Amino acid sequence: MRLRIIRAIYRKEMLDLIRDRRTLISMVVVPVMLVPLLMVVGGRAVEMIRQKSRDEAKSMSVALKSTSPEVTAALKKAGLNLVPGDDLRAAVESKKSLAGVEEAGREIRVYTDSSNPSSASIGDRIRVALNELKEEKVRESLRAKGVPESVLTPFLVKRVNIASERKMAGAVWGSMLGYLLLLLMFSGGMYPVIDMTAGEKERKTLETFLSSPAGRDEIVLGKILAAMTAIALTAALTLASVVVSLKSNQLGAKPGEMQAMFQTVPLDARTLSLIALTLVPLIVFAASVMVAIAMFARSFKEGQSYLTPLIMFVLFPALLGGLPGLELTPALCLIPIFNASQIIRATLLGDFPVQAFAITFAANVAYAAVAFMVAKRRFEDESVLFRS
Amino acid sequence: MAVADSFTGTRVVVRADSLVKTFQDPKRGKLNAVDNVSFEIRAGEIFGLLGPNGAGKTTTLRMLATLLKPSAGTATLGGFDIVREPGRVREQIGFLSGETGLYARLTPREILKFFGEMNGMSGAALTERVAEVIHRFGITSFADTRTDKLSTGMKQKTAIARTVLHDPPVLILDEPTSGLDVPTARTIEECILDARKRGKCILYSTHVMEEAEYLCDRIAVIHNGAIQMTGTMEQLREATGKQRLREIFLTLLGMEC
Repeated sequence: MRLRIIRAIYRKEMLDLIRDRRTLISMVVVPVMLVPLLMVVGGRAVEMIRQKSRDEAKSMSVALKSTSPEVTAALKKAGLNLVPGDDLRAAVESKKSLAGVEEAGREIRVYTDSSNPSSASIGDRIRVALNELKEEKVRESLRAKGVPESVLTPFLVKRVNIASERKMAGAVWGSMLGYLLLLLMFSGGMYPVIDMTAGEKERKTLETFLSSPAGRDEIVLGKILAAMTAIALTAALTLASVVVSLKSNQLGAKPGEMQAMFQTVPLDARTLSLIALTLVPLIVFAASVMVAIAMFARSFKEGQSYLTPLIMFVLFPALLGGLPGLELTPALCLIPIFNASQIIRATLLGDFPVQAFAITFAANVAYAAVAFMVAKRRFEDESVLFRS
Repeated sequence: MAVADSFTGTRVVVRADSLVKTFQDPKRGKLNAVDNVSFEIRAGEIFGLLGPNGAGKTTTLRMLATLLKPSAGTATLGGFDIVREPGRVREQIGFLSGETGLYARLTPREILKFFGEMNGMSGAALTERVAEVIHRFGITSFADTRTDKLSTGMKQKTAIARTVLHDPPVLILDEPTSGLDVPTARTIEECILDARKRGKCILYSTHVMEEAEYLCDRIAVIHNGAIQMTGTMEQLREATGKQRLREIFLTLLGMEC
């Protein structure tokens, strides 16, 4: 293989790619915009839902039926807007009231609609108010009988969370980042790969290219290197976008708990380097697999219909790899995509598993080599090149 | 029917020897797209491959350009074997089809530079040669415009410039004037005649009779994958008793007129 030929092919492919609007959107715009958009839109949506619940709790009523004066007083004290009611189920169902409270002997029934967050939230406030009333009555009763109140609490249960804020943030982002990165890497590489394979066939440039003295192995390597660049660029931009989004105070709805947690996500140079190292063989693998598949297609459209299912195949192990509770055994380290997703999660948690990483890296290098050989074979197979 | 070659005196550059290409058709089974095709082409000769659609012209040309491997037989171009030395064979050829094969998002200058690099050219020599062909083919005014913004004629000029850029001894031209208007087709014809003057060996596939009659030193008529007859116009006239190439062609196809 001649390096200068491979370099010329790579340069031509890159020039062709950066002049293609479709490719630029999938390779640059989507990874740069997606994370901030998710955070801004997601943050605003959560804030809007909370505000709506608060407003509804203030303005909407709680219907009461046969409640004793002390129950009514306790609910009033909790700041609830009380109205008399008759058919409480119908009142809640028709959303005339957010909740209903009915007293029947020793039983107090609280009617709520759990599918409505505002109704469920006001139901919680009613239960808190009624529990306080119940405890007060128990305490009064004990006082009357001369029994100390401490019998009610023979011991206290206190839960101590030993996970640092950093680890908590790592757990939350570890589940999402691997999935996001892997998904965007494959979708970011899809258009460039189709363009340089099936696109060449469709535009009838392949035959001329193949009649040049460039070897098939040189052509496939030049193309795979260009595809790898597109995929690596997508991954780098996604990571950069995540880092900027998390570290910036400008994003998110309001600086609050969520913002504080984002600030502690461990995205230091060491963590980012380990994530990048995990992704390297996967980038070669993704580029080679996509080139091998897309080369079979006769047109851009056909290439899309071949590669879209591949993205679906990537989704599942990437998502599964981000789930907490799964331990990376040596056997699980052999599952591509899943293994990288798990390593990224573990890295963000601060528990970098050296052995699992070594197996994952070796397995993905082997898969990348096989995928590369398959892609090369495709370029030597005339029934694929001149498929009609 | 066979007519002996009369174009002699120069060295043989292309030699096809009993080429066969078999395809597996799902409906028709095994199909011989090219069946025992043999011919020789000498330096400074334009050799026309004439046949109806589906006759096997493109398959023959693709085998000579090493894009397809022959099922049997072989060929040599400039002394290199298409099966054993495909890389060396591709160094000997300039290939042009009816499809210009140009990268739409690149400019003619970028395309020429790229194919020059593919042919082992580099540095100042490449830049100089690119500038030379740009001037020679009248590309200067649009040399730095993206190809997708060019007219058909401009694209075809660029495609010809690309084909001859590395000054190959063999030109393989597969229906290069297909779908072109008369002035653009004329540009290609002039380029072919000029190449012959400079001693190039030209294999020219077409189904346009007038073009073949006007350009080619010798013509091979191919039908159903097999060569029916090879010879100069005079030899073909003598063998068939017909005067015009159209009549000769139909006679050889068994469609007596």
